[in-house]
Amino acid sequence: MEQGRIVAEVVEYVVKEIVDAPDDVQVEVVPDGKDAVVAEVRTAKRDMGRVIGRRGRVARAIRAVASAAGDEEGVAVDVEFLD
Amino acid sequence: MEWVEVQGKTVEIAVQAALEELGLSSPEEATIEILQEPKAGFLGIGGQEAIVKVTKRPPSKKRRRRRRRGRGGKHRGEAAGNEQQKPRKEERRKEPAMESKEQPKPDLEAQAAVARSFLEGLLEAFGLEGEVRTSIEDDVLSIAVVGDQTEALVGPKGSVMQAVLELTRTVIQRKTYGAPRMRIDIAGYGERRREALKIYSRKLAEKVLAEGGEIMLEPMNPADRKVVHDTIAEIEGVRSYSEGEEPHRSVIIAPEEEGTEEADDAE
Repeated sequence: MEQGRIVAEVVEYVVKEIVDAPDDVQVEVVPDGKDAVVAEVRTAKRDMGRVIGRRGRVARAIRAVASAAGDEEGVAVDVEFLD
Repeated sequence: MEWVEVQGKTVEIAVQAALEELGLSSPEEATIEILQEPKAGFLGIGGQEAIVKVTKRPPSKKRRRRRRRGRGGKHRGEAAGNEQQKPRKEERRKEPAMESKEQPKPDLEAQAAVARSFLEGLLEAFGLEGEVRTSIEDDVLSIAVVGDQTEALVGPKGSVMQAVLELTRTVIQRKTYGAPRMRIDIAGYGERRREALKIYSRKLAEKVLAEGGEIMLEPMNPADRKVVHDTIAEIEGVRSYSEGEEPHRSVIIAPEEEGTEEADDAE
């Protein structure tokens, strides 16, 4: 099983639940050295604010949950939010 | 009309919290009333928090009132430096009685259903087996995620659990335009933690009784502080009070003063 599958599932699910335009959500999980991945999240521009949240609260929560997903498959996770 | 009343250390913090609660991204989209200006207290005692009422502005209506403090926008709030992890302290108070005509009570049942569906989906995305239960009491939505495997969603010191709560709140806001007060427990963590906190508080009380002096606990959120206060209140010869500003407010356990019947400043 490739590493990062659960991370991808979880991040994509959560982000799609939050945005206005779930069809525009793209999550790509790329390896980042040994046992580490970066989850790159892209959304429609107008949804980025929602995903980040005031003072970054939502983004922080997504990172925490993504890391928990990474723990399930033994990878460290970084989440990047890209326009 | 959708509105929330929020309390916070400063007007700015309260407004930001309120906007977030309403799912708005800018103060321009809302009417903001300052119901109470904050006043500084001494060591966090006797001070007054700011209370603001923020009403979602219908998109078409012309603005009625501009907030004088300009943008509370995307920047980090000035006092936001230490809000890491800890859930926001500002308490949102909905008072449907006051404006019940324009403000139908948010449908808690519907919000509970949104929470269940979101969390069931989350469990599925994680590939975990578990069950999501919700209950409503005193307008507070309580969520319990149960099942051995759901331990994965607790995290160090419950940090992942708090993140899950934050996301659930965000999704509810997003789908029902407003969110109730919520509580979450995953894999029985909250219950276990409360028990551990009670035992710990009793031990410290014994120490105070034996050695005198006061003991200050580490900073805790209001719910945890209440557990300590309640535990200490049952023990003869000690009292407890809180000191400091959120999110660094701490409980102090002290010997009971002779002759004074302290109605302890629990919160």
